[in-house]
Amino acid sequence: MTLFRQSNLALEKDDTNRFLPWLIAFMVLLAALSVAGLLMLHQISSAFEHGIQDTMTIQIPAGENSRADETHVRKALAALKKVDGILASKRIAAAEISDLLKPWLGETAGSDGLPLPQIIDVEVDRSSDLTAEKLADLLAPILPGTSVDDHSVWLTSLVDTLRSTELIASSIVLLITLATIGTVIFTTRTGMGIHRRTIEVLHFVGAQDEFIARQFALRAFIVGLQGGIVGILLAAPILYLLDFVLKNLEDGLLPKASLDVSIWVSVGTIIPIIALIAMATARSTVLKTLKKMV
Amino acid sequence: MAEVVRFENVGLRYGLGPEVLQDISFGLEAGSFHFLIGPSGAGKSSLLRLMYLAHRQTRGLISLFGRDVSTLPREQFPKIRRRIGVVFQDFRLLPHLSAFDNVALPLRVAGVRESEIRRHVEELLVWVALENHMDVRPPTMSGGQQQRVAIARAVIARPKILYADEPTGNVDDRIADRLMHLFEELNRLGTTVVIATHNEAIVHDFGRPVLRIDGGRLEIFPADDPNSADLAEVEETFE
Repeated sequence: MTLFRQSNLALEKDDTNRFLPWLIAFMVLLAALSVAGLLMLHQISSAFEHGIQDTMTIQIPAGENSRADETHVRKALAALKKVDGILASKRIAAAEISDLLKPWLGETAGSDGLPLPQIIDVEVDRSSDLTAEKLADLLAPILPGTSVDDHSVWLTSLVDTLRSTELIASSIVLLITLATIGTVIFTTRTGMGIHRRTIEVLHFVGAQDEFIARQFALRAFIVGLQGGIVGILLAAPILYLLDFVLKNLEDGLLPKASLDVSIWVSVGTIIPIIALIAMATARSTVLKTLKKMV
Repeated sequence: MAEVVRFENVGLRYGLGPEVLQDISFGLEAGSFHFLIGPSGAGKSSLLRLMYLAHRQTRGLISLFGRDVSTLPREQFPKIRRRIGVVFQDFRLLPHLSAFDNVALPLRVAGVRESEIRRHVEELLVWVALENHMDVRPPTMSGGQQQRVAIARAVIARPKILYADEPTGNVDDRIADRLMHLFEELNRLGTTVVIATHNEAIVHDFGRPVLRIDGGRLEIFPADDPNSADLAEVEETFE
């Protein structure tokens, strides 16, 4: 209550303070969208990393005939059971491989005219030290020409792209924060200009700079809270829409990402964070400006 | 008696302009009562501003309560300002606060408890006959009422020095006389009082030492000075 009683400047009546909550609301709206986007991108890139890094693909060259192919696959599966660090291995059916290649090779894929290699998907224990090279070396004596792919080539570039996008989103959040700080500095200085005579009176009756700064800081905190709440309320329907679109994306196009509780909580924390930033900025602006006065 | 104010060869200029105060030297003893007179633009307000720390002098030495304020860091100013009460010519009341809150301001700033503030402010507003106007805001008060609020604010924290800039400028003779007796009463209680005024009748009637400023230079006339008594020379300075 003391804090409120100390408001001797009537800052709430300033035109600048009427305008500021809407500016902050707009900043918070942008920040909320950026933060949510950033966290969802992080979800997607993590899902990519975890989902695909846990697997390796073994490719056995096509044999002379289907019986030979069958023998090679059985040998490989038997050998894989004895390798430490392999949790499961699954043969990809020839029909499934043909279907996957049809867009590029047409109906001939898998026919006698165009034999296809046999594919085995292996689930790897990430804590083990099993690498694609080690596995290839183990299989080479039994099945010469077999190759093992840990997807590192395309996975690295995909995750790099996602990480770069995350970096851009982080930069946007940083820019929004700086813009908010700049706005609060400008508004506080304008407010100090408007209340210059009152500030002088407060000084003449013995007020410390901190007493005056506290009033501006408290007002900035309240304005930050108001703007923050309005900004999040504006962002919420847009985020719901984004969540709806992502949930209805075709399976397999992207790893599943959604606005889970942790993202909503992170977006919600923007409100107190922006209020505290506004408060700290106003306080330091007032103290710096007052130092120039007698 | 100890001096509460001492100026030594003080000069003041605003920016690159000419010196508005030149070589001002004087001392005010604790419990003294002075009038500050001089024509408009002579430097009265500038001198007062130096005395209540609204400005820093360009040169010379100013000490208040025995402390050299020329070199004092500004963080120390609030402590000194709390011992000084100022009645501004334009009152400088905060228009959004009630009379009660305006008067309470120096105590709130000093961190006094709210229950004590209430007691002291109510008592003082009764003393200046504004007990029925506690919740009224200054813009709806008459000039005289605003003046009394300004005086109450200046004395609520029991200052050691009271400066009043044209305190009788907005009131009729009867109220002016009452206000002057109020200042005398404060002076009797030990407050050092300096009244800047254009009102020659008051200077005549109250027979107190006079600080006369003209062209940025200061002269002092003791209360018992014959020059001060007839004020012939002093009156020439009035407009």
